[in-house]
Amino acid sequence: MAGRVDSDKVKEKASDNLNDLPTFHAENMQNNAKVMYYSRTFMSIIGGVVAGILGLTGLMGFVFYFLIMGITSVGLAAKAGFSIHSYFDSWNKILLDGFFGGLMSFVLFWTFAYDIVHIF
Amino acid sequence: MAEDLVLDTAIRDWVLIPLSVVMVLIGVLRYFVSKLMRSSSQLPDPKIVKEGQVIIRARNLRAAANFIPAKSFRARKVYYSNEENGLLFVPKGQAQNAQAQMFSDPNMAMDMMKKNLSMIIPQTLTFAWVNFFFSGFVAAKIPFPLTQRFRSMLQNGIDLSTVDVSYVSSRSWYFLNLFGLRGLFSLILGEENATDDTQRMMQMSGFGMDPSKSLSAEKDGLDIVQHEWALPKFEQRAEAVLRKLVS
Repeated sequence: MAGRVDSDKVKEKASDNLNDLPTFHAENMQNNAKVMYYSRTFMSIIGGVVAGILGLTGLMGFVFYFLIMGITSVGLAAKAGFSIHSYFDSWNKILLDGFFGGLMSFVLFWTFAYDIVHIF
Repeated sequence: MAEDLVLDTAIRDWVLIPLSVVMVLIGVLRYFVSKLMRSSSQLPDPKIVKEGQVIIRARNLRAAANFIPAKSFRARKVYYSNEENGLLFVPKGQAQNAQAQMFSDPNMAMDMMKKNLSMIIPQTLTFAWVNFFFSGFVAAKIPFPLTQRFRSMLQNGIDLSTVDVSYVSSRSWYFLNLFGLRGLFSLILGEENATDDTQRMMQMSGFGMDPSKSLSAEKDGLDIVQHEWALPKFEQRAEAVLRKLVS
């Protein structure tokens, strides 16, 4: 399967110690969002190359893209120790944010790898 | 027509890879050029900086309103939005002045034009280069099928109408690269600042009107805030924590 990104996964605690108040530290939230964006972009590029090499075409390729995004989401959740609320606003943010952002990069690298390996 | 065209290896070596490499290099070059050009003329107007800081302070007040007692919040709010000498209250005459000054300021106009040009020129040049050298043959095959309506868009140089729409010309490879390399640039250049042109356009259009409109926007925001004292039993909570620490 595609490799994991472990280099810059520095996630910082966004919420503070008061258990009744859900307050979030803005700078840390932003950093977490940036880490998520980088992870998703990287995974979509790698996923594109893998899909091209495997020779996936048409709908299978897009299914593979969603699979990669799902794996990325699970990976990010695992890195946050499954205690989402101390790092992010809500579940939706970590699961669905930037889901389609990597699509163009995925298609580019998918086309590239597919052509290099299969057509030429 | 055969369903599976066999394409020359030379196309891969001399079209696909060079085009991608050139676009990556041009993106990197553009990033560095914009960084160099930006640091040359940077004397911000003190009045504008002051207004910007006032806006930041008002925004902090709005964000952390629930952590200070109601009376102090109200005192601060009046300080900002007071009719006579509140910091955020700008009479209409002065507001127009700031805008006109900004637009006629030659430095500002030159800066904006330079940024716009540095975005548009490499794209135009690369597109012209692609059209001149790489037209008239099939360049790549996209791995998913598309309808016939995309044929005119994707197969521009190819004049055979029976070729499968998946076989595209190099112009569409250029566009694919243009959109797909944005993610790559954000990874290798740190923050994706010089290469996302849509974001740039929005920033450009919003910049000229920024100070006066955002002052009144902040004032309205501050007026709207409902103060809810978020730390009502704070002394008891502090006592509990201290007790736990001591015992």
